[in-house]
Amino acid sequence: MSDITVFAARKIITMDDNCPQATHVAVRDGRVLAVGDAGCANQWGPVRHDDRLQDAVLMPGLVEGHAHMMAGGVWRYAYAGFHDRIDPDGVLWPGSTDLNAVIGGLKDYAEGLNPDAPLIGWGFDPIFLSDARLNRSHLDQISTDRPIAILFSNFHLMCVNSKALDMVGYGSGTNAEGVIKGPDGTPTGELQEMAAMFPIMRRLGIDFRGLSQTPEAINAYAKVAQRVGVTTITDLFSSITDADVDVMLDIMGDDFPLRIVPALGVMGDPVAMADKAQALAARSTDKLRLGAVKLMTDGAIQGWTARMRWPGYVGGQPNGLWNTAPEMIHAICAEMQARGIQMHIHVNGDEAAEVSLDAIEAALRAHPGPGHRHVLQHCQMMDRDLFQRAAELGCCTNIFSNHIYYFGDQHVALTIGKDRAHRMDAARTATDVGVHYALHSDAPVTPLGPLLTAWCAVNRRTMSGAVLGARQCLTVDEALYAITMGAAYTLKLDGEIGSISVGKRADFSVLGRDPTAVNPMALRDVPVLGTVSGGQVHLL
Amino acid sequence: MKLPLTVIGGYLGAGKTTLINRLLAEDHGLRLMIMVNDFGALNVDASLIAAASEDLIALTNGCVCCTMGADLFLAIGDVLDRSDWPDHLVVEASGIADPAAIAQVALAEPDLAYGGIVTVVDAVAFDRLADDPQIGVQLRAQVDVADVVVVSKTAAGAWPARLTGTALDLATVALVAPLICGIAVGQVPDRRASHADYVRWQAAADTVFEKEELLAHLAARPDGLFRVKGYVAAPRGQVWEVHCVGRQMTVSVGKGPVGLVGIGLQGCVTLPEVDAWWNSGDL
Repeated sequence: MSDITVFAARKIITMDDNCPQATHVAVRDGRVLAVGDAGCANQWGPVRHDDRLQDAVLMPGLVEGHAHMMAGGVWRYAYAGFHDRIDPDGVLWPGSTDLNAVIGGLKDYAEGLNPDAPLIGWGFDPIFLSDARLNRSHLDQISTDRPIAILFSNFHLMCVNSKALDMVGYGSGTNAEGVIKGPDGTPTGELQEMAAMFPIMRRLGIDFRGLSQTPEAINAYAKVAQRVGVTTITDLFSSITDADVDVMLDIMGDDFPLRIVPALGVMGDPVAMADKAQALAARSTDKLRLGAVKLMTDGAIQGWTARMRWPGYVGGQPNGLWNTAPEMIHAICAEMQARGIQMHIHVNGDEAAEVSLDAIEAALRAHPGPGHRHVLQHCQMMDRDLFQRAAELGCCTNIFSNHIYYFGDQHVALTIGKDRAHRMDAARTATDVGVHYALHSDAPVTPLGPLLTAWCAVNRRTMSGAVLGARQCLTVDEALYAITMGAAYTLKLDGEIGSISVGKRADFSVLGRDPTAVNPMALRDVPVLGTVSGGQVHLL
Repeated sequence: MKLPLTVIGGYLGAGKTTLINRLLAEDHGLRLMIMVNDFGALNVDASLIAAASEDLIALTNGCVCCTMGADLFLAIGDVLDRSDWPDHLVVEASGIADPAAIAQVALAEPDLAYGGIVTVVDAVAFDRLADDPQIGVQLRAQVDVADVVVVSKTAAGAWPARLTGTALDLATVALVAPLICGIAVGQVPDRRASHADYVRWQAAADTVFEKEELLAHLAARPDGLFRVKGYVAAPRGQVWEVHCVGRQMTVSVGKGPVGLVGIGLQGCVTLPEVDAWWNSGDL
C-alpha cells in the first residue's frame, strides 16, 4: 500500500499565498507532501486516495495561543454558567439565565450523583444575572444533606450550601475576611478568594491541579480542542514537574490528536526558573513543546485588578494590583532574554503592558538577541503607541478578542468607559502597525473556539448586540490568518504548522462550510466536523 | 490541635530571607516548616543539613525548608495532610504579595491557627517605595495588615518616616523566634524566654469565662502584648483554646491544660500592666 495519502475536499483554504486554494492535499509521514488537484502528488509515486473529507472544507489546524488545560478537566463538574456550552463529549449544556434555572439545572444534575458525593459546579457568573446574589439558601433548595460548592467563572469565588459551611465550621464567629456575612451576621455562603475557599476545596476534593495534570484532564482537553478544530494549543501558566511531563508523554503519542505547548509559570528566582525551563525544553516531543515561560503581571479589568494608565477606572476604583512587582518583571525579562527563553507575559491593563515593554526593551539592550518573539498576552488596553513599541521590539501580541462579546457591555458601563472600551482589543491597530498577533479565548474563562474568537474580532458585537468600536474590526481573512499563521508565529511554530504548505505537519481543521463564504455574522456557526492531526483523521 | 501559620511579608530586598536565616539558626527547639519562594539567598550551614533535594532542605534540628511552587495553597494542604505536623508553619510571601491574602487561610481553615503577619520594612528604602506611584499602595498595605512590623537595615541610624505605627528595630531583637512563632506553654526554657528583649507573661487562667466575655476581655489587652496563647476554663468543664496575635484573636473549644502565656516587647509593655489587665477580668 502506498505511503502517500491524497485527501480530497470540497475546498482547501491553505493560508499559504503560493497556493491559496486547492481541492486536494497529499500527506506522507504525517506531513504535507503536495497541495493542488487530484494529481498533485503523482510525481512522488503511487498514491492512495482518501475521500472521507470530500464534502468538507479544510483549513490549517486552528491554533489557540492562550488557553488553560483546565478547560478540559473542569467538565468533571456541573456547568452552571450563563451561556450555552458544549462539553468534551459534545453534549450541549444550556446556559442558565436566572437563578431558578441555575438551581433547577443543578437539581437535575444532583439526581445522577452518588448519594455520598458532593455537588460541585463551575462557570457561574453573577455579572450576567439580574437576580439576587446566589446564597446558601438557594443551594439548600438542592440539598441540605449533600455538600454543594459552585465555583464562579473566574475561579476566585464560590458559593456553598449550609452543609458545606457546617463541614468547615463557618459561622457567625468566623473572622476570615473572604467568608461573606449577611445582615444577620451569619455566612451567606459566598466565599471570596483562595484563603476562604481552601477549607471547602480541601474537604470536597476540589483541586485545580487535578483539573490539569491527569490523563483524564489531558484527554478531555484534546476532545474539547478537537470539537472546535484546534490541533495546537497552549497551557499558559503551569507548574510542570518532571512527573507531569511523564504523564503527558505517556498518553501524548502519535495517535494523540493535539499538540500542547505549556508555559512554565514563573514564581520566585528567575535564574532557577530559567534553569527549569531549559531542562523542560530538552524533553519536548512533536506533540509536547516545552521550554517557554509565562509571567503574570497584573490582574483582570472586570475584577478592577488590572493596572491602568491615566485616567484609570471609570468608577474611581483604585488602580489594580501587581502580581509581580515591576522591579521583578525587569529581573525576569533580563534573565529570560539572556538565556534565550521565550516569555508569554500577561498584560491586561495598559500600565502593565507599558512596564513589560520597558522591561523587554531594557533586557534587549543588555542582551541583544533577535528572534525572541516574546508575546504580550491579552493586550486588552494597548493603544497605538504600545502596539508600535511591541512591533519595534520584535514582540508578538495575543489579543483577547472574546472579551468584546462576553464583557464588552460591562467595560463600557463599569470598568474603563466608552472611549477606551471602543478601542480595546485593538486588532485593527495591531494590523496597521505591523505587529505579529494572534487572537485568543483564555479558555475556560471564555469558551474555546477560534472561529468564535475570529467572529468576535470581525464583528465586535457585545452580548447586547452593540458594536464595540467598528474601526477596530478585522476582515474575515485577517481573522482566519490570526487563528492559524498568526498564532503559530507567536509559538515559534510557523515553520511547522499554521498553513497547509509542503513540509508542514498535516494538521487540518475539517469544516462543514466555507468560513470565507458565509456571512461574517455566521462565522461562529460554521460547523466543525473534526480535525486531522499529523495526517490522522479525527472526525467527531 | 491546630497548626499555627505565620506569614512573613515585605518587599523585595526588605530582609525577609535574612529574618528566615536568623530563625533557622536560633536554638528555639521548634520543628518549623518554612515555605519560601526560592532557596536562592537561604544561608544554611552545610553541617546542619540532614537532607536536601531540588525543592526541600531538611535540617538536623527538625526544621524543614521547602519551595512552595506555583500553588501555595496546595502546598499548605499537603502539609496538613501529613501525619507528622511541624510545630509551626512559616510562609514567606512574595515581594509584592498581600500577606493577609495568605494569612486569612489560618482564620478560615479549622486545622490552622492564626500565627500572625510579620512584615519586614527596609529602613533605607521604605519611604521612597511607599510613595512609588506603581507599587506604593501595595507596599503600604503590607504594613497595614501586619501584626508585627520589623525594620531592617537600621545600622546607619535610618528609620522610615512613612512608618506611623509601632515597629521594632530588628537589630535590637536578639531572638526572632518568639516574634515569629510565639511561645507555647512549657515549651521554651526560662532562660531563653526571660531574655532581655521580651516580657514573658503567664497566668493560670482557671477563672471560667463565657465566650463573649473572654473575647471582650482579650480585646482589651495591652497593645505591646503581641502574642497570647493557651487554654482558658470554659463553662461545663470545657476549655477555650485561645490564639491572639496582633489585633487578631480566635477563641474556640479546645483540649488542653488551662494556662495562658503571652509575650510582649521590652519597652512596649510591662509585666505589671499585663497582670493588671488580666486580673481585671476576674469576676
